[in-house]
Amino acid sequence: MNGNMKGDDIPCNAIVADELTHWYGELVAVDHISFNVAEGEILGFLGPNGAGKTTTIRMLTGQLKPKAGKATLLGIDISKNVDRVQGDIGVCFEETNLYEQMSATENLRLFARLFGMHRFDCDALLERVGLGGRGKDRVETYSKGMKQRLMVARSIINRPRILFLDEPTVGLDPTSAESIRNIILQERERGATVFLTTHDMMEADKLSDRVAFMNQGKIVALDTPHNLKQQHGRRALKAKISTNSGKLEDREISLDTAETPDAIHELFSREQVVTIHSEEASLKDIFIKITGRELE
Amino acid sequence: MMNPHIISALVSKDLSLFFRNRFIAVITVLGIVAYLGMYFAMPGSVDETLEIAFYAPVIPPVFNQMKDSGLELRALESERAVKEAVKKGEYLSGIVLPTELMQKLVAGQKPTINLYFGPDVPVESKEAVEALVTELLYLQSGKQVALSITEHILGPDLVGKQISLRDRIRPMFVVFLVMFETFGLANLITEEVERGTIRALLVTPMSIKDLFVAKGITGICLALSQGVLFMAIVGGMNARPLVMLVALFLGAVLATGVSFIVATMARDFMSVLGWGVIVFIILIIPSMSVLFPGTVSGWIRAIPSYYLIETVHQATNFRASWHQVGSNLLTLLGIDLVLIWVGIAALRRKAR
Repeated sequence: MNGNMKGDDIPCNAIVADELTHWYGELVAVDHISFNVAEGEILGFLGPNGAGKTTTIRMLTGQLKPKAGKATLLGIDISKNVDRVQGDIGVCFEETNLYEQMSATENLRLFARLFGMHRFDCDALLERVGLGGRGKDRVETYSKGMKQRLMVARSIINRPRILFLDEPTVGLDPTSAESIRNIILQERERGATVFLTTHDMMEADKLSDRVAFMNQGKIVALDTPHNLKQQHGRRALKAKISTNSGKLEDREISLDTAETPDAIHELFSREQVVTIHSEEASLKDIFIKITGRELE
Repeated sequence: MMNPHIISALVSKDLSLFFRNRFIAVITVLGIVAYLGMYFAMPGSVDETLEIAFYAPVIPPVFNQMKDSGLELRALESERAVKEAVKKGEYLSGIVLPTELMQKLVAGQKPTINLYFGPDVPVESKEAVEALVTELLYLQSGKQVALSITEHILGPDLVGKQISLRDRIRPMFVVFLVMFETFGLANLITEEVERGTIRALLVTPMSIKDLFVAKGITGICLALSQGVLFMAIVGGMNARPLVMLVALFLGAVLATGVSFIVATMARDFMSVLGWGVIVFIILIIPSMSVLFPGTVSGWIRAIPSYYLIETVHQATNFRASWHQVGSNLLTLLGIDLVLIWVGIAALRRKAR
């Protein structure tokens, strides 16, 4: 993990949310959430639609003032000095918001000028997101995947220290989604902190150093995927055995009990095992276990 | 603190997007061409022949002999017909002679002559008609006669100058062009909100102040350039170029303020058109005061564009000085400041 470190190799916090709260009328969208994201870390922010993920991003990026609590980015209180931090962040929105009547190059050059980047290699950036050779085409002629890749390119134009990505791969074809995941990992390698909201558990598991589960405006769990699986998941062996009558039956042996060795021994000595594999709880299972609801 | 680099980036982006919206771009160009076409199709000069109607129960012979160049006297059947014709603008004026004219002339008595004029007949013309009547009756009687001449104005009395129709319509066209930018700029702002691009802008180092200044500059540039182009082609900048430039600038600011308010109310292109047409119609009403002098009521001064139209009219058609149009310009400036402030406050609220 890159990024600035404090004295004893403790990474500085790039993002600190302290009792962050926002409501729309009667609806509490974000309810007193607190968390830190270290520099160079990828935090996966998971939750179903309406859980409060986008509202959290909007508060963290200064688009929305928190009704209560505060947030600091790189040590700066964004409610008071958002202008001091905007040059260091990049935001990729969930919905496409590009200038569609302009070309990709024009879109990127406009934002480069807004960030005060006078030396900016537009072609290299387009190449990096897989849009090489299409820079002069108007964005309105792009597919959804191409637009999303351009959105990601726009969000990293200023080499941000903190990158906010709101559902960057939702609705994309596997190739475009994989291309965006690679860019996220490259940005982390560069030293950027990544705040990633998604409801794709596989994606979060693959990319995130830590994940936060958000449900009904609250963070209900926050840890590394590994720890969450250990704390809340259940490991098991799943086997298919052939009975005397020739039928196939399923057997499941928990791997976390004292009787596990004996149960495995018994399975292999007494039964005719056709297939066997280990199974680890997924983040999806854990989310359902903790919140009692599905992600979609 | 505003950032000039950011503002210039936003202005070039807006100008580029403005001309990429085919509807707005085509309408803008067509507008200029159409108004220029209409302007040059209007009569460029005033017919110098003075046409005068008259009624006399007994026509003095000298009236029938009057065939001077540039003067046409036409006898009508009644005093009422004379008044109607003058009211309709068919004649510059009407002369009504009394029944006992000839007897009174012979007796050396003072006959009463009624003269009828339209609302915007200049004083010089009235004096000329009066002199004509006196001269004709002198010729008829062969001696200087005392006359009692009564002038009647049919409609509101305007002391003005004769202006060709196309010069009268010029202020209206220029206000059309300037105010039409309300649509273009309001649409640019509405699209920014509707498509969410404003959110992308607001997470950059651009401040909301930069955004409004850029939008203002874009709107003023578009409106001012069209106004100046039109006025330069039709010769409207010749009389008082500086007065005209300031008036058009304040007009462009007015259009920008109005477009901010329209953009606040509108959600998409169709609602921009809806609200824009309502506002546009209201703003062009004051041009009637120039086209049909004296036919509009005082409430028209409550419409902000009145002060622009009146200034353009006065400066181009009467070579009005700073002193003469100063109060109009100051009023317009005050209205501009209020509209821009209200527009920005409303838009800021919407952007959030």
